[in-house]
Amino acid sequence: MSDDLRTERKGQLLAVKDLPTLPKVLEEVTRLLEDPNSSSQQIAKLISRDQVLSAKVLKMVNSPIYGFPGRISTIQHALVLLGFNVIKGLIISSSVFELMNTSMVGLWEHSVGCAMACNIIAREAGFKEPEEYAVAGLLHDLGKVIVALQLPSAKEEIDVQVREEDLLYLEAEKKVLGFSHDRINAWVADHWNLPLNLKVGIAGHHRPVTAQHYPKMACVVHVGDFLVRTLEVGSGGDDLVPRLDPDALALLQLDLSQLDTVLDAMLLEIEGDGLSMGLG
Amino acid sequence: MFFQSLWPGDEVEWTVFQRGPMALEQVFNAPPDLLLVDDDLPQLSGATLVNMVKSENVYRQLPVMLCLSAESPLETMDFHSVEMDDFLVFPVSALEARSRLSLTLHRASRELDANPLTKLPGNTSIIQRIQDLIDRREPFALAYVDLDHFKSFNDKYGFSRGDEVLMMTARVIVNTIRSFAGKLSFVGHVGGDDFVFILTPDVVEFACQRIVESFDSIVPHFYDQDDQERGFILSTDRKGALQQFAMMSVSIAVVFNADARLKHYGEASQIAMNLKKKAKSIPGSSYVLDRRQE
Repeated sequence: MSDDLRTERKGQLLAVKDLPTLPKVLEEVTRLLEDPNSSSQQIAKLISRDQVLSAKVLKMVNSPIYGFPGRISTIQHALVLLGFNVIKGLIISSSVFELMNTSMVGLWEHSVGCAMACNIIAREAGFKEPEEYAVAGLLHDLGKVIVALQLPSAKEEIDVQVREEDLLYLEAEKKVLGFSHDRINAWVADHWNLPLNLKVGIAGHHRPVTAQHYPKMACVVHVGDFLVRTLEVGSGGDDLVPRLDPDALALLQLDLSQLDTVLDAMLLEIEGDGLSMGLG
Repeated sequence: MFFQSLWPGDEVEWTVFQRGPMALEQVFNAPPDLLLVDDDLPQLSGATLVNMVKSENVYRQLPVMLCLSAESPLETMDFHSVEMDDFLVFPVSALEARSRLSLTLHRASRELDANPLTKLPGNTSIIQRIQDLIDRREPFALAYVDLDHFKSFNDKYGFSRGDEVLMMTARVIVNTIRSFAGKLSFVGHVGGDDFVFILTPDVVEFACQRIVESFDSIVPHFYDQDDQERGFILSTDRKGALQQFAMMSVSIAVVFNADARLKHYGEASQIAMNLKKKAKSIPGSSYVLDRRQE
């Protein structure tokens, strides 16, 4: 692909101003915001389940207007810093449509599942602030949503490639677009001033150990993505399971028995939390 | 004169000069609340006079309005170089002139007292607010917030990183205070790493807890990764020796005004300063409440 075409496509993708958000989450968050007894933890938890709303909140709190770009990577902190008025405004102004649900069936469950997996992995590995890893897990396929929204015809072509050639979604993206969602994630992270650790997590999850900074972030998302696909929670756009990079496990200093512990914890949470209930 | 007829003489006092240079001397010696400049002056043009006043930092807060006799000068006016606060084009109705003068006066007091970084109200507004509550004999809780180890952070990372921390602190305080809705809630920025907030006495302790919690969990993200993991920074102290400095924390001192025991703003700040020493002597984030109210 020529550089010109790539720049043009990048421009089209980044022109995304109003990413859609899911109406169900919107209603719930609005209800909590209006209830004086609700806590910011409850609201943060709810917002954390919607990757589009999460991305918007993080984009806003990391914008230069607030004076500390690239510093905040958890929703809970973003809520404290933005305040409920801004959150309310953000939600009200959000255009609501279900495109994501219809054009990428199962991606939402896949993303929420991956967030949960990353949280558990980070805790198992003994990292501080497991929520940050969860945010990266939640947003790791954001690039796929953006392509579906901004370049719908390319999205269709990718789907055809996945079906007919039995490719990984990632490979099909490269064939059709010349680049894949991890690259788009990096662009979006820069465009929105997201903190470097988040950027690495969402842009590096397919080549985790090559990350220069915060390689552990990329490794956690890589392993989380693998596990959630193995458990077949939701869908990342294809039916294949990407290869697990053993170097990623080594870098996290996790052995296979610990991975079992993670899987058990995930299964428990999926049952207890009813991840697929009322969704999709 | 037109302007003198706008308000009764006992409310607004006007001093009129025919020539720019004479006016300047008076303005510099005894600045008025508002300066009205005719664009068409002998010797010194209105725009030049405006700029002479505005170029001096001590007179910058003086609101200046330019009076034009026709719209035409506006076409060539460079608003970047003529630093007036507003203008009037004659002929103008009495109502409009009166309203525009009031607006300019109020806008100036709002804008100029605000802290340039956080845009929170500054000292003048803070003192006014507190004195007003004291005068009305209303019970309130007044909290002084400042950061521990801010200076060593600033020294190591530079002032723009320090400003980030101040912006974050301001947001944490504002949003925490705002979540306790009520007519009393107020947040001001004294300057540097000193902030003030006012709340009703019954919720203030809970607010302090929330501020401490939020600040402590957010502030590590403002350090470089290695310092964050180490849990302290290495920086030189006042004598130039390398020293370990703990992560930044908040100290809050709370003064209560119950049974109208405070008579003057100075009393409140005096008590708070003593309490603050106590709060700062406690390592990490802490708050101290003035319990002498009973």
